[in-house]
Amino acid sequence: MFSIENWLALLQDWRVFASGLEQTLIASVLGLLLAVVLGVVMGVFAAAPVGPLRLISRIYVEFFRNTPLVTQLFFYYHGLPRVGFTLPVMAVGVLGLGVYTGAFIAEIVRAGIQSVRRGQLEAAYSQGFTYLQAMRHIILPQTVRVVLPPLTNQFVNLIKNSSALSLIAGYDLMYQADSWSSYNLLYAVTYVTVAVLYLSLTLPLAWLTRRLEERFHRQWGGMSA
Amino acid sequence: MKRISRIAVSLFVVLLAGVLLASLAAMAAGGPSVEKIKQRGELKVGVKADVLGFGFKNLQTGEFEGYEIEIARRIAKEILGDAKKIEFVPVTAKTRAALLDNGEVDMVIATFTITPERRKIVDFSPVYYTDGIKLLVKKDAGIKSLKDLDGKVIGVAKGADTANRLKQQGEKLGASLRFAEFETYPEILSALQAGRVQAFSTDGSILKYYESLDKSTVLLPQRYSAEEYGVTTKRGNDDLRDLVARVITDLDKSGELDRLQDKFGIASEK
Repeated sequence: MFSIENWLALLQDWRVFASGLEQTLIASVLGLLLAVVLGVVMGVFAAAPVGPLRLISRIYVEFFRNTPLVTQLFFYYHGLPRVGFTLPVMAVGVLGLGVYTGAFIAEIVRAGIQSVRRGQLEAAYSQGFTYLQAMRHIILPQTVRVVLPPLTNQFVNLIKNSSALSLIAGYDLMYQADSWSSYNLLYAVTYVTVAVLYLSLTLPLAWLTRRLEERFHRQWGGMSA
Repeated sequence: MKRISRIAVSLFVVLLAGVLLASLAAMAAGGPSVEKIKQRGELKVGVKADVLGFGFKNLQTGEFEGYEIEIARRIAKEILGDAKKIEFVPVTAKTRAALLDNGEVDMVIATFTITPERRKIVDFSPVYYTDGIKLLVKKDAGIKSLKDLDGKVIGVAKGADTANRLKQQGEKLGASLRFAEFETYPEILSALQAGRVQAFSTDGSILKYYESLDKSTVLLPQRYSAEEYGVTTKRGNDDLRDLVARVITDLDKSGELDRLQDKFGIASEK
């Protein structure tokens, strides 16, 4: 099962796994960017004093958070072409991961905003800030350190969730692993390797955010928002 | 840095322990041989559930039907004296070898093509059916042969040897082919309908069914390989392998295989 020959067979085809890792990385980074943008906008909407904005945010969050990612990916991949929109599979991956994860991030951002004392917003208003200005300069900077730990979870989840692309021929790491292992009938070595490769993406991310947290902690001390 | 190295070390230890445990478990489990099957009183066979005429689960009755199902029953009768003492486990091209390897099934009879690479990992019985790789395309796509698929994407099943065989054929024709692999056949048909792939390729006997499902598709007549199916058993279960080989050879000599192929409408064009 874990014989030397099996490992050598895998090493010989390392390019297959490298190309998969590359696709996973691209989809994850772009997906992450989209997720953060969507998450912040929808999170601010959710905390906004304007009813319709809160409603839009609510619908977005509840729909995308409460349906499986695979279903959403299948819809973009198999469904959209039938009504005339054929997105390349990488775009399907970025859209799927970004929109799905954005819903979770929106909730985190909303909670972060609401954790900042109401007096801060009132103080900003009294200084002549508009709502958006107050958000940008006063509230959001304070939420960053509150939302960082839960955000890390979402980032790590997004990278792991990108493996769902293997189900729509996304040429990602999991796809290449499935393909290589089921053709060569070598499963054990393949999936151990793949687990280590995913760790190589997620562990540095977790480490980086822990460093950031420590830095925030030093800067802000134990002061609560 | 200290914390990082501590994390790395503990991770490594956990992984190593997992690998060792898995190896030990694999050794202890061994393989189900004829005696084990008799003790259990039931034969477990991995079969296709979505290949009409070979291994197909009838949704009305819930029963498995087809040529490969009948072969499984003959083997069960030989081992246990009763063709009904059998559990069918649905498999796909991707899952069949793994299920055999971890002992979930005693054998796989699931349009499993004999190849030199696979012979190194599993044991095959003598050939019980010969099929060929074909192409299913959209009628209005103007695709007449593999050559027309130059630069296009072909949908294939994960774990099947279709892509490699076609690649070899494509090189001869000077056509560069791209592939997208899917878990199940219906997904490949859907990808063809959605225009994600320009051809759906697997063995002709399987494609015939999908051609009948979608009237806008057509099965091209050319065969791009000879796919010889064998009953697969786990390496090391020599007694079981020999027994299966005997059953297949007997069925072949007595003309029973031909009769069964006629019965299920899959008699190969010779």
